[in-house]
Parts: sequence; structure tokens; C-alpha cells
Amino acid sequence: MTGESQAITQNYATAKGFCITSAFWMVVATFMGLLGATELMAPDLLENVGWLVFGRVRPIHINLVLFGFVTPGLLSAAFYYVPKLLRTDLYSEKLGKITVFAWNVTLVAAVVSLAMGKTQGREYAELIWPIDMMVVAAFSLVIINIIMTVKQRREPILYVSVWYVCAAVILTAITYGLGNIIWKPSSGALVGIPDAIILWFYGHNVFGLLLTPLSAGVTYYVIPKACRAPLYSHTLSLWGFWSLLVVYTHIGTHHLLQVPVPTWLKVIAIVDSNAMVIPVMAFLINIWYTAKGKLGEIHADIGAKFVFTGTIMYFFVSIQGSMMSLPDVQRVTHFNNWVVAHAHLGVLGFAGMIALGGIYYILPRMTGRPLYSRLLAVFQYWMILIGTVGFTVVLTIAGLIQGNAWLNGETVYRILPQIHVYYVTRAALGLMIFSSAVIGFYNIIRSMFFSPGETS
Amino acid sequence: MNMTLKTVVIGSLLVLAAVVFVMVIMPYADTNKTTPSEIFRERSPAEAAGRAFYIANGCVYCHSQSIRKVDWGLGAERIAQAGDYLADHPILLGSARTGPDLSQEGGEHPNDWQIAHFINPRYTRPLSIMPAFAFLGMENLKQLTTYVQSLGLKHADKRMERQRLWKKEAIKAYERGPVANVKWLHEQVPEGWRKLPNPYPTTDAGLARGHKIYQDFCLGCHGPIGDGMGPAQPYLYPPPLNFTIVKDRGISGGILYYQIMNGITGTAMPYFKRELESEKIWDVGNYVAVYFINQTDADTEPKGIDASYEP
Repeated sequence: MTGESQAITQNYATAKGFCITSAFWMVVATFMGLLGATELMAPDLLENVGWLVFGRVRPIHINLVLFGFVTPGLLSAAFYYVPKLLRTDLYSEKLGKITVFAWNVTLVAAVVSLAMGKTQGREYAELIWPIDMMVVAAFSLVIINIIMTVKQRREPILYVSVWYVCAAVILTAITYGLGNIIWKPSSGALVGIPDAIILWFYGHNVFGLLLTPLSAGVTYYVIPKACRAPLYSHTLSLWGFWSLLVVYTHIGTHHLLQVPVPTWLKVIAIVDSNAMVIPVMAFLINIWYTAKGKLGEIHADIGAKFVFTGTIMYFFVSIQGSMMSLPDVQRVTHFNNWVVAHAHLGVLGFAGMIALGGIYYILPRMTGRPLYSRLLAVFQYWMILIGTVGFTVVLTIAGLIQGNAWLNGETVYRILPQIHVYYVTRAALGLMIFSSAVIGFYNIIRSMFFSPGETS
Repeated sequence: MNMTLKTVVIGSLLVLAAVVFVMVIMPYADTNKTTPSEIFRERSPAEAAGRAFYIANGCVYCHSQSIRKVDWGLGAERIAQAGDYLADHPILLGSARTGPDLSQEGGEHPNDWQIAHFINPRYTRPLSIMPAFAFLGMENLKQLTTYVQSLGLKHADKRMERQRLWKKEAIKAYERGPVANVKWLHEQVPEGWRKLPNPYPTTDAGLARGHKIYQDFCLGCHGPIGDGMGPAQPYLYPPPLNFTIVKDRGISGGILYYQIMNGITGTAMPYFKRELESEKIWDVGNYVAVYFINQTDADTEPKGIDASYEP
């Protein structure tokens, strides 16, 4: 890692703004998740409250988790470490503040429109055209700020985290526009099977080109810093970066293996889903070898602890994902709660953990004071860890019950009583995760604005 | 490899461009010339309007429209083809089956059942976890129903024709009074079934099983005491059968079995052949016979050889 000794004048306004954005929307997003989970358990709880009907709560939950909690959390860290790594100031904190503002306006618009039932009905691409444009505009502002910062750098070498941030924001701005069919404002969709293909190309790239590269960027920054060790291998960084871009972008069609799409497309999706082991292991080996023998240092820093745990989750969710692309496995796992478990392991366990890790790592360094409460942060860590692992276990069991029963000819209706207990457990775990979000928000706000810092 | 800004940005863009060509443009060229399947037809404006409610309320998150080779349930008679989706803008394949697949839901039930089910799904399906949609208002629910009844396109049209035909007959019979209605209902059951008594003896265990099945499947329409006054009743016409009126009017275990298995098309009574195995149908039939009709032919002649498990 390159030196950062030169005086940096920045006030971190942008990083702090995204940090608060992430912490706040995590509360709303997890509440929406908890609400949806509760509705599956007690469907008449909010009987005829139209704007909170499950079919509207679910897209609000997902859009807020992706674009309200995880992405801003990861961007917060990026706006902190990109200037640091380049030994310069952020190109424009003013532009950054405008970006944070625009981002939050976009999120409010997304929640209101989805609650009103204004949706394009495509998973991960629900937002209506004006909000799509706001998302693209917000990403464009991030791109300008990041690229201009890179251009004004005083450090000649671009560290791997910077590659990931640049690629993530640029490629996502493009694939978001593609996947949301922004050239057709009225529907935001194509017709028939081509619509499904482009939707899942984009849908999976939300993880492949946004959450994963931004998470990798944070990890590549935090782990070597926390361990005070040089990165294990530059070659592996290169392999991980380029293979991620090449391989991850090919796998979206594994959502359509049981759908009449061209067979050659399915073959590419399956082969590349399994080839994901290359970018995943290149990254993980690089990080884990960097941390080899230094787990004490990681344990000592709550931010690094979140991040490192995220890498372990990444290992499991990736192996699972490759496995799920195999047609024989998917016969059981498709259409049921197994997939919901997989999604939570990936987005909360991996990207969400790393987003929180990034926040907790940079927060004391931005304020120059310790966290308001390390204990609350550790408490949040365990709540999320237990919540995520619990989700994975419970929903995987529910999914196996559903999938195998269906495969044996049982109807969906017949299986509902069998999985009820798992819905109840899932809602209880969801309550833990929501509570931890509230605690985290409190801790982050106190740390940023009021903390005298812990004396210990 | 020297990673400059140019390398990162242009390299990433080149990779993306190549992938978009392979994963988006080539498949588009491949699938864009799909021809209509044998069930395909365009959607009417009313159906399209109903589809907008389907989209607005996120029905797609729990209901797929994607029949696979491995499916058994509703619609599994026919595996989905690319040519089925040519009017779907956007396509609504779905990614979860929290509820059943709806590819071929059209005509599965008559309109009044659909409305009762939308008002509160537990009115017709006591174990359902679907939200109530009464908040949409009756006019919108009717449009949504029009869309749902078109799912399956030409196949749905055939089933709807069947529903309309038998709805007329069922209403005619109902309006002629209980005696004529029961007579008509029984006449729709093939003769062999009408003469068939329930071959199994009445046991406490069998009645307990029947009770459980009744609560999970029948209670919403026929009501907890079998008088046809379940919560769905106000929405259904002809209304659900009051079991007490069939006593001494030629009812048999075979008639009950056949009607539960096969449903009564045109009325809200669905078929349960997919959801209930044989023993469960006999059990719930006998539960109805013992508790509500107060007349059971269980274990009477002719019954052939006793099943080996009978006590």
C-alpha cells in the first residue's frame, strides 16, 4: 500500500453524507424487510392498507437495501479512501454534497412511487423512468467526482481499490440504463423473452458490477491497513479484477435456466457461474493471505472485523451460487426460499457486512475521535452475524421443504403450513437485524456529531 | 500490467461492450423472431388494464408465470414456450412461488370465486398467506379478475367458455329450489359413483382427519357448521351448498367423493384432485356426511373386499 503521509485538507463531507445516508436507509430498508416477513407470517395484520401490501413492501425493501443501505455505505468508504490512496483531496466536496442530496431525493422518490404502486414490474428494475434518470444522474455525479479525483492525483500508482471503484460506478451507470430500458420511458421494458434476458443480465450485474467490486474495493483498503501488512499479491489483484468483469457479467441467464431461452445462452451462464471460482478465489486468497497471522489486528478493529467476516460470507455465497446454477440443483432450489436465503447471505452477509465495516473503519478516522460506542458496534456485528446465518439456515430449510415437495407433486398451498414456522423464525431474526440497524444508526450519529469518544 | 486510469476505464468498457454483444444483443437477435405459440392471442384492452393492477401491486413477486418441465401443479399440462409471451410487456415470469404459478389460471375458477378470493384470500382458501385486495375496490378487482381469467390465453378462453356454460346451468338449478338443485347436482355425477357408498367405516381417527381437511379447504365457503354461510358466501352465486338440505335426497359417499375430486364447474366449487389424496377425500366426505348431513353410508354394502388396514 502506498503512503498517505501528505497532509490532506479534506473535510470528508461527502463520505460522511453517504455514511449517514447508509445508516438511515438501513433502518428503513430492514424495517420494510421485517414488515414483509411479518406479512408472510400474519397476512391480515395490515389488511387492506394498500400502500403496505406485500407486493409493494418487497420492492421497497429490495431497492432500499441495494441503493439506500449497501451502495451508499460502500460509496462512503470509497469517498474516504480514494483521495487518501491518491494523496489528494476529493475533486469537489461540494459536488459530493450535491450527490448525497440527489441520492437521498432519489430514494425518497423511489419509496413514495413504489408505495403508490408506480412500478415497472421488473425485479431490480421497478423504478419508473423519471427516477431511473435520477439514479443514472446520481451515478454520473459520482463518476465525475471519482474520475476527476483520479486525474488530479499526486500518487502515480492506482491501487486496486481505485480500479474497482472506477469500474463499478461507470459500468453500473451503463448497465442500469440498459437493464431499465431507459430508451422506452413509458414501459421501461421489452416484450416477451428478450425482456427477461436483458432484465437478468442487468439484475445480476447489480451484484456483479456494483456491490461486489465496491465491496472488494473496501476490503482491499481496510484489510491491509488494519493488518499493517502489504497486499499479498499484485498479480492476484489483476486476475481478480479482470476476471470479475469478464465472468460475472455472463451469468445472469442462470435465472432463466427453466425458461424457454436459447440453450447456448444457458450453457454460457452455467459455465461462467462455475468459473466464478476464479475471481472469487483470486480475491479471497489475496485478502486471506494478506491477513495471514494477523487475525488479532483484525479482531481489534471493529470495522476490519465486519469486513473480514464479509469475505467469509462471500466465500460461502459464491460457492452456493455456483452450485445453484447447476440444473439438477436448481430443480429443487428455484422459485422458493432457498433463493431468498442466498440473496440475504450475499447482500447482507457479504456486501452489507463490508459496507458497515467500511463505515466503522473510516468513521473514527474522519472524526479524529473513537467511536461513540465500540460495544454497540460489536453488538450490532453479532446481531447481524446471527441474523444472517439464522436467515440462511431457516430459509434454506424452508426452501428445501418447498422444492422437494413440489418436485414430488405437492401443490404450493399444501406446503404453506409446513413452512409457517420458518416464516415465524425468519421474522424474529428480521427483528434482530432491524434492531441492530437502529442501534447502528444511533451509534453512527453519536460518533459523528456528539461523541466525546470513549475514554478507554 | 500497468493499471492507469485509461487502462481501467477503457478496458472495463471494452469488456462490457463484448459481454453486452454476447449476452444481450446476440440473444435478442435469436429470440426476437419468436413466432406465436398455438395458445397465443393478443390481450383485450380490459385484460391489459387488469394486468396494470397485477403489476402495480407486485403480484409477480409471489406468482410465477413460467411452467417448467419438472412441474406437476396448475398448468403443468403444458410447458411454457417462448411464443406464449409475445404480448407480455414487461414479461412477468416471476422468481418465487410463494403462491402458485398462474400461467394457466384463466378459467380455473369462475369470476365470483376470484372476487371472493381477492376480497380476502382466506375466504376461499383458509391457509392462504396472500394479502387481501379489497382496498382496490370492486371495479378494479373486476378488471384484475378479467386479466387473471385470461392467463393461459386460448386455453383460458376455452375454460372460461366452459365456466360460463355451466354457470348458467348451475344458476338455473339453484333457482328452481333445493329439491331440484340437489337432484341436478347429483345428476352431474356419473351413475356408478352415485351408487357407491363410502367403503371405509366411520372412525374417530377418520373423522379427525376429515375435520382437519374441512378446516383447511372447505370452511371458507361452506362455513364452520356446513350451512354454506362461510365468509365467501356473500360473493358467490350460486351460493355454497348448505349440506343439511341433501339429507334423504339420494346423497352417497360416492357423490361426495366425485364432487370433491372433480369440482362442480360453473359454481365456486373447485376440484381438489391435485391437493387431496384418495383417503383424505373419503375422510372429509365422511366428516361432512356425519356432522353436517347427519346421514352416512360409510361401510355399507356394496363394498367388496375390506381394505387390509381396516380394523
